[in-house]
Amino acid sequence: MTTRRLALLSIFAAALAVLAVQLAAFLPGGLPAWAAPALAAAIALALPALLALGAARNDRGLGRLLWPFLATFVILAGGFGAALFLPPESAADPLWFGLPRRAAIVLVGIGLLPMLVLPLAYAAAFDEHTLRPEDIARIRRLAEQAKERRAASADAEAHAER
Amino acid sequence: MPAPAILQASAPSGLAHPTIVAVALLYVAVVAAIAAWAARRTRTAGDFFVAGRRLGPWTLAIASMSATLSGFAFVGGPGLVQAIGLGAIHIVLSASITGAMGAWVLGKRLRLLAEVRELVTVPDAIGARYDSRAAQGLSAVTILVAVVGYTATNVLALGLIVHAVFGIGLGWAIWIGMLVVLSYSATGGILAGVYTDLFQGAVMAIASALVFVYALDAGGGMAAISAALLAHDPALVGPWGRLTPVAALSLFFVFGVGSLGQPHVVHKFYMLRDPRRLKWYPLLMTASMAVTLLLFFAVGLAAAALVATGRMAPLATPDEATPRFVLEFTPRLLAAIVFAGAAAAIMSTVNSFLSIGAAAVTHDLPRALGLRGVRELRWGRIATVAIAVLAALLAQLPGVLVAFLGIFGFGLFASTLVPALAIGLNWPGATRAGAIASIATGLAVTLALETLAYVRAFSLPAGASVSGLALALSLVVFFVVSWLGRRGAAAAVPADVRAVMES
Repeated sequence: MTTRRLALLSIFAAALAVLAVQLAAFLPGGLPAWAAPALAAAIALALPALLALGAARNDRGLGRLLWPFLATFVILAGGFGAALFLPPESAADPLWFGLPRRAAIVLVGIGLLPMLVLPLAYAAAFDEHTLRPEDIARIRRLAEQAKERRAASADAEAHAER
Repeated sequence: MPAPAILQASAPSGLAHPTIVAVALLYVAVVAAIAAWAARRTRTAGDFFVAGRRLGPWTLAIASMSATLSGFAFVGGPGLVQAIGLGAIHIVLSASITGAMGAWVLGKRLRLLAEVRELVTVPDAIGARYDSRAAQGLSAVTILVAVVGYTATNVLALGLIVHAVFGIGLGWAIWIGMLVVLSYSATGGILAGVYTDLFQGAVMAIASALVFVYALDAGGGMAAISAALLAHDPALVGPWGRLTPVAALSLFFVFGVGSLGQPHVVHKFYMLRDPRRLKWYPLLMTASMAVTLLLFFAVGLAAAALVATGRMAPLATPDEATPRFVLEFTPRLLAAIVFAGAAAAIMSTVNSFLSIGAAAVTHDLPRALGLRGVRELRWGRIATVAIAVLAALLAQLPGVLVAFLGIFGFGLFASTLVPALAIGLNWPGATRAGAIASIATGLAVTLALETLAYVRAFSLPAGASVSGLALALSLVVFFVVSWLGRRGAAAAVPADVRAVMES
């Protein structure tokens, strides 16, 4: 299975899971216990899958970008999982980064760690993986051809109108 | 970012201080100078709608940040944190990912597509991708619907600040605030907008960083703030705040995935001078967002702790958190810069909305209807004024109705544009029918459910949200309809568009 297809399947599965959670709210007893873990899993799947879908070039793999995307999945799944399943804190518990433990995991883990990983991964992989000079040259050739075609078509229309 | 929370407030009091008035006047003077400079450089529709494609990465990143964050980040957001705790953080938490995600999913492809097809708008990209005037027209309609409502809420928020500083009455304040934005939006278009955004973004970031330091200091440090809240109201510093986990996670999903469907932000990719300069966009965008959101987080928690420990009087409404905190705990000059920053955030968002709204009227809809030869620069200016006047008139309506108009803006953009644009530009198997069906689904579901809730005929049960439901449903519809018509889908993609998608 190609990277692109796997990413698309993951996004579709995540969208179905989010839809299921939204519809589950209509159940007589309110939201079932699986709703929050399912939504957390859907988010952990959807965002890295979108990253992979955007980074995939044609049907080639992700190369080194696989690792930051996997890290993002682990951070999201682990962070939201910890927030859901760890017990609530009391005033006597030690603070992490000045915050209660679960809040620190969410804020520092999900709010900060990807910020350190993803932009640097984007810059590091840019020249080799994302946009090479030959890609731009090819696109600019296409743009020139398209421009010539448009000009020719406009000329033909003007001629026909006369 | 949503604006309506700011509408819960009456105008914050105590702002008519000489320092605050002087900073406000200085701020308007700088914006006017930038507008005059940009207006002289705006000669074509390309200058007016895509800044002549001559932005560098710094300008692109700061302008995108400014357009993303409305006044909500400075006033409504901290108020929400004060009221519901860290649950409100889930609105902005995905900012650690969305800068890079936008660049990977849309940045390169939109910028290259703009070069191949000389695109100006987001509906242009949808029209080119699916070779469909219907898809372009439908996406333009959704943008126009969201823009008018969203702009009205932001203009009302701007009016509240202008009224609080100058004390001229809300009605006049709305018109004067709108006139200031129009002075550069109608003359210099988005070219003036991005350079005022650069200035405004700098004001926002500086104000936020300084207030963050003062907030931690006033609360006695992060640990003391947490300890105070754990003792008085521990739910506020739980990972979901006062929200349920599902409600908080739904916010994260909608604002995370939905960021790919915000046309006033993603269309700025067209404006980058050199596509290879995208390399540093995620770093600059993410860093500037992080700095500017420090205020959102810190003022909300500090205000809650200060109220809990009796060092600040209880707030009449959550939206008082920022005005009260900066007036009581920071120097008056910094308070003035914060109010200028809040106005800056609103104005930059309004300018971006006016630009994409005017482009929808004068560029996308005529093309969708097969009309040619429209003088886009002249009509773009006229449409900008018309949308601004309409939004200012709507802003004079009762606050609840204005909030209704604005409340669905982000969700409507997300549910109508994420599937067709963000996924469609990365998946050759996506079909024209899938795109049109998903846009129509997002539009219909959002408008129907929000309207039913407004007239109190029907509202979703606890745990479900209109924006979450509409986004998930439009994604599923997009995949299913495209899959059903998958035969020949890839072959139907125009060759030049396909080349961009595969690059």
